[in-house]
Amino acid sequence: METTTLPELEIAPVDMKFMSGAQALMNALVAEGVDTIFGYPGGAIMPVYDALYDFQDRINHILVRHEQGAGHAAQGYARMQHRAGVCLVTSGPGATNLVTPIADALIDSTPLVCIVGQVGKKLLGTDAFQEADVMGVTMPITKWNYQITDADEVPEIMAKAFYIAQSGRPGPVLIDITKSAQLELMTKPYRYEKCRTMVSYRPRIMPKQEQVEAAAKLINKAKRPYILAGHGIKIARAEAELIALAEKAGIPVATTLLGQSTISTEHPLYVGWLGMHGNYGTNVLTDEADVIIAIGMRFDDRVTGDVSKYIKQAKVIHIEIDPAEIDKIIKADAPVVGDAKAALTALLPLIHQNDHTVWRNEFRKYDIIEHQEITVPSLSGESEKMQMGEVIDMLSRKTNGEAVLVTDVGQHQMMASRYYQFRRPNSLVTSGGMGTMGFALPAAFGAQVGAPDRQVVAIIGDGCFQMTLQELGTIVQNKQPVKAIILNNNFLGMVRQWQQLFHARRYSFVELQNPDFVTIARGFGMDGHTCAGRETLSDSLDKMLAHNGPYLLEVIVEKEENVFPMVPSGASVSQIRLK
Amino acid sequence: MTNYTICVFTSNSIGLLNRITIIFTRRRINIESLTVSETERKGVSRFTIVIKHDSREEVEKLVRQIRKIVEVLAVFGYLNDEIVYNEIALYKLSTPLGSKTLDVETINKKHKAWVVYWGLDYVVVEKTGNETEIFDFLAYLRQQHEILEFVRSGRIAVGKTEQGLVEYLPEADWEYTL
Repeated sequence: METTTLPELEIAPVDMKFMSGAQALMNALVAEGVDTIFGYPGGAIMPVYDALYDFQDRINHILVRHEQGAGHAAQGYARMQHRAGVCLVTSGPGATNLVTPIADALIDSTPLVCIVGQVGKKLLGTDAFQEADVMGVTMPITKWNYQITDADEVPEIMAKAFYIAQSGRPGPVLIDITKSAQLELMTKPYRYEKCRTMVSYRPRIMPKQEQVEAAAKLINKAKRPYILAGHGIKIARAEAELIALAEKAGIPVATTLLGQSTISTEHPLYVGWLGMHGNYGTNVLTDEADVIIAIGMRFDDRVTGDVSKYIKQAKVIHIEIDPAEIDKIIKADAPVVGDAKAALTALLPLIHQNDHTVWRNEFRKYDIIEHQEITVPSLSGESEKMQMGEVIDMLSRKTNGEAVLVTDVGQHQMMASRYYQFRRPNSLVTSGGMGTMGFALPAAFGAQVGAPDRQVVAIIGDGCFQMTLQELGTIVQNKQPVKAIILNNNFLGMVRQWQQLFHARRYSFVELQNPDFVTIARGFGMDGHTCAGRETLSDSLDKMLAHNGPYLLEVIVEKEENVFPMVPSGASVSQIRLK
Repeated sequence: MTNYTICVFTSNSIGLLNRITIIFTRRRINIESLTVSETERKGVSRFTIVIKHDSREEVEKLVRQIRKIVEVLAVFGYLNDEIVYNEIALYKLSTPLGSKTLDVETINKKHKAWVVYWGLDYVVVEKTGNETEIFDFLAYLRQQHEILEFVRSGRIAVGKTEQGLVEYLPEADWEYTL
């Protein structure tokens, strides 16, 4: 049990009164080790902002331009820091603007603690100014939410909030705190006890030994085992354990979209990534593996294609911390419920040395086809207009595959995943499950704040950029050296691609009349320029990367480029199309 | 369609009913009946939810989703033969002057029901039993009297296994009310 009692001075002001709810909240944040919060003030959260004024030496509050930006920035920060990102916003519209990032964080298992102001207790339910039923609104999209109406509750509830957000399968927690609870004084001395366990919430970290043994048995008997590595490995920081297992048993490793960078793309056992726009061999060969070892992933429909035809031939080992994911989409022959790191550590000594060279070489056959049919034409520089892949490929070389890539949603997201050669762990931040356009710019900012020593590059589409571009102001004000690349094809590219392929080229509302992005950046005080052709691409990237401070590079790319390979919606993964 | 009775044990907190029911509505599962009460342990509530479903697998997934709620202590999904269950119904019958006399003997002896309130020109009859018995009785009353109001409580149930709640909840953490 860890107890923090604060120095006399902070507990009791001169008149010997107890702390206010707002002061208790600030002290709770400090007790949880929070040093950065993303927020936006407003009427119903003003007492907390007033308390924050005295905590500026301990808590760096970052003023965003829109609450959605606070949420995504906190997500980027959380993914880099492996701990909860904290948002602080006001009631009503402040809170509803956080809804998208909260939903995004839930489906992508990102720990957030969102502290939201609420009208005073007596005004609850009266349709007061800026009152919204935020508890009701966020109930289905939070891991937990709670309304504080009494200052005395603050320490205990904040401790629970951080424990729930960060433990087990991480997720967003929302604390709705009434203005009256912020203002009123506690009736007892402030005392903070970190939450370590709850009666009703006990996530399993150590897997059951018999589950591990059953999994080991399947792996040891397998002729064509195949690891599908997901986001859970990043969350558990189990990259080394994953590689150790793969190497010991000679098992090829594919990753999910969010699982990318858990294993270096240069590793001989890495075979590519999975899903609708993943690699050719990784998708086709899932239907030929005899044992699938799915780790920290949830068989999203973008990964499985037609579920009724997915991995019917294989025995499935599902290593997953959330028991509700077991058998949800794919029946597991050997479920292992537990933390990925703990499970892989327990599994490793039970696994026999193996090689599986013949099976692994199968992937190479498909690689050659994919390389010839897709990669070479995309990167050759022979097409009339610049291809998105050329930009990513060159960025990958110039950053030595060591940058943190933060991508938005759409074609550029898929191209970034295809052509960036990740060499360092935890190097991709993207909105996977929710597919939230507008995610990248604020998330890149948050990632840069969370990882000041790393080069953070946001890859953004022209459509996505216009959803959250006001956060350029946040980036500039906070002097974060985020590099943002807009791949501008003047279209909502992914929707256009679907309209071309599946709706007889009926382009329904996908063409944009874009503003001058560089002028916009300059207006915010951020340098930038446009690269209009491949002859200046290399210099443009050099200029961007060498720039001291944030930079926006707009790259004009081919308007009607398509992302391939592609598993058409509703098709099985082996029906993946190369064109 | 099979009847499933889902018993959810939770720590008592505001909003929990909503949190549980949205799991059903999101999956378009209709709740046939729902009752909530505090258990033998202070601070522990018991939700009894009856649904009809044709896939056991889907019900199992539903149970796991409910278990995910932070305040939920335990969840059990039961088939009818795995539980002892009952409900209570109230029948308000019109008995104005000159109407048919109430056949109290049949009501008591055949249907195990009791008149619990006599109004000026109506009576309220109470019956406990399973859904079939309650509807059989309703059908009988309909033939004899005008029904002014009819209400059922929804099912309450206990499992037939020898285990009690204590098997699933760490005892030290909860205080008994008895």
